[in-house]
Amino acid sequence: MQGIGGLTGDIVLNTLGQIIPLIIGVVVGVVVLEFLLYNLLAKTLKVKNALAYTLLAPAAIAILAFMLYPLFFNVLLAFSDLKRTTFPCYSPIARGECQLDHLYGLDYAVKNFSDVFFRVRDGEIIGWGRLLRTADSTFPVLLGRTVLWTVVNVIFHFSGGLALALIMNQKIRFRGIYRALIVIPWALPGVITALTWKQEFHAEYGFVNTLLQGIGLQPVGWLRDATAAFVAVTFVNIWLGIPFYMVMLLGGLQSISAEYYEAAQMDGAGAWHRFRFITMPLLRPILIPAVTLDVIWTFNKLDLIVIMTGGGPEEKTNILVSALYNAAFGTAATQQLGFAAAFSIVIFFILFLFAIVWITTSGGLKEIYDR
Amino acid sequence: MSTITQPTPTAARRQQNGLTSQQIRAGIGGVIAVGGLVLMVANQMNVIFLLVGLLLGLLVWKPFHGILVAYSIISVYPVLRIVSISLRPSTGLLSRSLDIIPAGATLQSYNNLFNEEPFLQWVWNSLSITVTVSIIGVAVAATGAYAFSRWRFFGRRPALIFLLTTQMIPAGMLVIPIFVIVAQLGLANQIIGLVLAYISTAVPFSIWILKGYYDTIPPDLEEAAMVDGCNRMEAFWRIILPLSTPALSIVFLFNFLAAWSEFIVAKVILTAQSVMTWPLGLNQLIGTFQTDWGKYAAGSVLVTVPVLLLFMWQSKYLISGLTLGSVKS
Repeated sequence: MQGIGGLTGDIVLNTLGQIIPLIIGVVVGVVVLEFLLYNLLAKTLKVKNALAYTLLAPAAIAILAFMLYPLFFNVLLAFSDLKRTTFPCYSPIARGECQLDHLYGLDYAVKNFSDVFFRVRDGEIIGWGRLLRTADSTFPVLLGRTVLWTVVNVIFHFSGGLALALIMNQKIRFRGIYRALIVIPWALPGVITALTWKQEFHAEYGFVNTLLQGIGLQPVGWLRDATAAFVAVTFVNIWLGIPFYMVMLLGGLQSISAEYYEAAQMDGAGAWHRFRFITMPLLRPILIPAVTLDVIWTFNKLDLIVIMTGGGPEEKTNILVSALYNAAFGTAATQQLGFAAAFSIVIFFILFLFAIVWITTSGGLKEIYDR
Repeated sequence: MSTITQPTPTAARRQQNGLTSQQIRAGIGGVIAVGGLVLMVANQMNVIFLLVGLLLGLLVWKPFHGILVAYSIISVYPVLRIVSISLRPSTGLLSRSLDIIPAGATLQSYNNLFNEEPFLQWVWNSLSITVTVSIIGVAVAATGAYAFSRWRFFGRRPALIFLLTTQMIPAGMLVIPIFVIVAQLGLANQIIGLVLAYISTAVPFSIWILKGYYDTIPPDLEEAAMVDGCNRMEAFWRIILPLSTPALSIVFLFNFLAAWSEFIVAKVILTAQSVMTWPLGLNQLIGTFQTDWGKYAAGSVLVTVPVLLLFMWQSKYLISGLTLGSVKS
């Protein structure tokens, strides 16, 4: 190995040679584009709000190219038979043997989407679709586990964060120090969290079992047993999520004027009533968006599960998104991108349905939309 | 009693006994802590007993502080343990000790990390990708967000709602097409491929944050400047952008932090050793538990410290960032 830590001058120059032109290109491109577009819109076409459209153009192009086009392409992939073996057919660069007579078609889409839900043999539905390799990885099982995972996490995030915020909102000494310490899990890079906890749940060398034995309990084969592994992953995600709520809710609590509580106390309201009728309603504007975001983040929490358990043992800690990842990029046997694209669309619609129902019933994001 | 306030009945009852509940709790807490000390001595100086005794004692004495101390320990201990493991000598790597400072602490693991692994190369790759994404994200979003903030143009509301909806998209839904597109363009194992992939999520988020910040800057500022002869773009460039430095740097930092520790997309797009980012490298080290635990821990400490420092720096910006009302001066 050359150079310390594998870093040599050549590598540095090579990387700089790629990124500096990219940055300069983008910045110059943005300026030139805006100049030309503004002249076109304002002076030639005399469009109303020409400057607004001009200013939007770079962002619009970036979102079109890097967000909308991939999303559109994902839908297209759901109409394809893309998998490891047919990859050369779909890639102009790695062109090779191709045995497909057509690349995209409705027949593929029907197969991909029905594979998500059903297993078909000889034109008859013989059961739930097998999304991964084990017979247990069916859509209802994964959906059920995802809902359980989301509900448990959000409840613990919320109650833990609220309890800590309520305590921290008292006149308590060392508040700044506690706050700084409790926020650390949130500030930690997610990969480090996942990799480190994976090691700490190691049956022999991790500190979790050492602690259990220290207080006289039996060690647990955390990541070897399906239930224990799910408990372990859930615990880590709860640990990760509490600081977010604590910070949000503490901010909310501190903005509630003390006069409300004084008035309520005069009227003889007890602690529970003050909490129920003053604290909770006034926290609502912060709470509802926080819960909404948390549900979405938890539902989509992919990296923690992929790193800590890889969905195992026996695919029993997979939630929908990690099953999707494993179907698309897991071992070569299940690497079916066309099917995975269809699966991802199904997952998105579940989340989207939830969001619509939740937002219309709670009115939670109203103030965000109306801004 | 010279004060006017009436003592509550319970407080009065306690005073008859000569002890306040605070003192009783302090006493019980003290007994529990001493009990922990005794158990420690009885169990071959096992420090766990003393610590548990102290904590339970504190919980009884001052419950709020007890809970906060307990939760702070839960938050910080796993992090301190990474530091601890990174300092272990190679003979004691798999020791089951719970000590924060290991016996025979040494920097050997750091040395091994630099000599045996291309750690700096991983960090360099991550750094160049991250900085590029952050710069492009801010540059592209800064003007777009301004348009969202100041104009009521056709399609504004649906566009804003779309930007919010992008937060809901499962990673898998973008990873699959991006993986295929990057492969089709021949950008797999290229730093640029990953930069383009990250920009897709960085831009909508940046626009959202910056728009929120521009909204808090009164339009009077630009109007005053335009009366003085600036055109709209000059007003934006000379007044809004400088005032938005805190928000711009926060967006830069958020993009930076998100890309710095991104794992899934990087794992899918980068497979060659020479382009690996540090999350991939450290993940590889974990693969072989026995030998590389120390090197993993050392690497984790080195990549985490800058992130924690950035977090502190950023919170300072958040406070100093609210320079509203400058229109009067």
